[in-house]
Amino acid sequence: MQSSIMIIDDERIVGDMAKLSLSQEGYDVETFLDGESALKRLEEKTFQVVVTDLKMKGVDGLEVLRIVKEKYPQTVVIMITAFANLDVAIEALRDDVFDFFPKPVKIKELKASIRRALAGEEAGGAA
Amino acid sequence: MKIVHRIHLSYAVNIALIFIVGFLSLQAFNELMMKFHFMEIADSLNTAFLEMRIAEKNYLLYSDKEALNSICTRITETMPALAEERENIEQVTGGNDYNRLVQLLADYRGNVRALIDGHGDETKVRDSGHALRTFSENIIKMERDKVAALIERSKSILWLAFLAVLGFALFFAQWNASSIRRSLEQIVELTHAIAKGDFSRPAKKPSPDELGAVVQAISTMSEELNLREEEMIRSKRLASIGVLVAGVAHELNNPLNNISMIAQTFAELHDKLGSDQQLEFINQIDEETERLRYTIRNLLDFAKPKEKQIASHDLNEVAQKCLGLVHNMLTIGNVRTKLNFDEQMPQLCLDEHQIQQVLVNMMINAIQAMQPGGALTVTTRFLPELERAEIEVSDTGKGIPPRQLEYIFDPFFTTKEEGGTGLGLWVSYGIIKNHGGDIRVQSAIDEGTTFTIMLPLNLDKCVRRSDSNAEQHHDH
Repeated sequence: MQSSIMIIDDERIVGDMAKLSLSQEGYDVETFLDGESALKRLEEKTFQVVVTDLKMKGVDGLEVLRIVKEKYPQTVVIMITAFANLDVAIEALRDDVFDFFPKPVKIKELKASIRRALAGEEAGGAA
Repeated sequence: MKIVHRIHLSYAVNIALIFIVGFLSLQAFNELMMKFHFMEIADSLNTAFLEMRIAEKNYLLYSDKEALNSICTRITETMPALAEERENIEQVTGGNDYNRLVQLLADYRGNVRALIDGHGDETKVRDSGHALRTFSENIIKMERDKVAALIERSKSILWLAFLAVLGFALFFAQWNASSIRRSLEQIVELTHAIAKGDFSRPAKKPSPDELGAVVQAISTMSEELNLREEEMIRSKRLASIGVLVAGVAHELNNPLNNISMIAQTFAELHDKLGSDQQLEFINQIDEETERLRYTIRNLLDFAKPKEKQIASHDLNEVAQKCLGLVHNMLTIGNVRTKLNFDEQMPQLCLDEHQIQQVLVNMMINAIQAMQPGGALTVTTRFLPELERAEIEVSDTGKGIPPRQLEYIFDPFFTTKEEGGTGLGLWVSYGIIKNHGGDIRVQSAIDEGTTFTIMLPLNLDKCVRRSDSNAEQHHDH
């Protein structure tokens, strides 16, 4: 089954580039510029991985994380942020997010992380 | 000397004065009692002498021998009484007078007896009787004079004592009052200086009394405040730099990340991309670079101190102009305005453009914090006793949570959902500090926020600074 990946970032280029690159791996990728529209889409469709920016106007990455953990516990959340120095916040999120990437993001590392997340999910699903 | 010691000293002096006066009065009183007792004795003696002389006259007029006998009897009766009171009489008049009196009495008796015996002389009797009476009357008169003098002296002593106590009390009161006043004036001076942010030591040495200790304590507190303020400013500056760096990092990281992701995607997919798509990638990189340049330029603009255009202005007028600038926002936001302008406000030295920037910034913040129907209040105050002017911008908006209040002047801090750069209040703070002033903020949730800008009354500096500006321009 084709895995669905959601990218949320108010920087349009992040979504565009991630989508171009991830599509090459055969993933079904959808991009959103804000938390509200992303959450609306989650009600309609199941995504295996949500990659979200932390700081956004309106519904921010933490809010997205909270709602995904509550409503869609099977979905893995990967956080990215332009705040380079948020050790405390990162530590606090360790348990809830699958991975955490400071910007600038290495796309290869992001891909590897998504692969691990999907493998883990499948392993978990098989168990 | 300590105030409590001075009060004790004044008590001691007054009590000593009262004791001295009491002692002197008691002595005078005792003397008077003695004199009065003597006067009683002298009066009764005098009466006796008078009776003798009457009897003597009876004899001389009517040759009544019985009269002579009665004189002798009186003298014999008087002698022991006189001896009984000898001590008292000697104390008052001295031993000589007593002896003289006894002698005169004895002479008189001798002369009367001689007359009774038939060989006496009437003239001698009369002379010695007269001498006796004159002497005793003289003593009484002298003693009366002494009593009068004594009473007079006692009166003077009481008056003098009264004046001394009064004078002393006045002197102590004056001494205490003036030193207390001096210390209080020093305290007032010191607290005013602290209120104005001047933490230097007082020039005068504090007096060595309790109030001096208060002055010393305030002075020490002032020094502590000075140290703490420096510490606080330093730590705040460090915290601000931290926030600034984090904010800058965030603002720079986003376009950097975009460029990086474009580059990575390009490297991965370049052989699959059409030339149009390749061109789009390059253009996007250029746009993101432009974004970076814009952020950096803005930051440098804020960081660069601008040359002030200081001139004397009417703060009320400046505030009025600012309200004109935000008029449109007020109308759209359905916000009422209340103006409380202090008509006594003197001309102030300020950069009108910069102060306008600050006030407009605060007014916009206020308007944006309010729901339709809110009120924007602008108040100006002339406070000559604090040597400053104040302008307040208050809203009836949602307020700022206490936790956020200490960060609102930090760069890149914003409470706005959209469109806040987080630089407005930071820049405002810099401008007001640069004017030698200060900004304070008070806020209560759902009640509103009040920003108070304090500016020094520094018209003299205005003249100097504009002079030096003129010189600088001349040099260019």
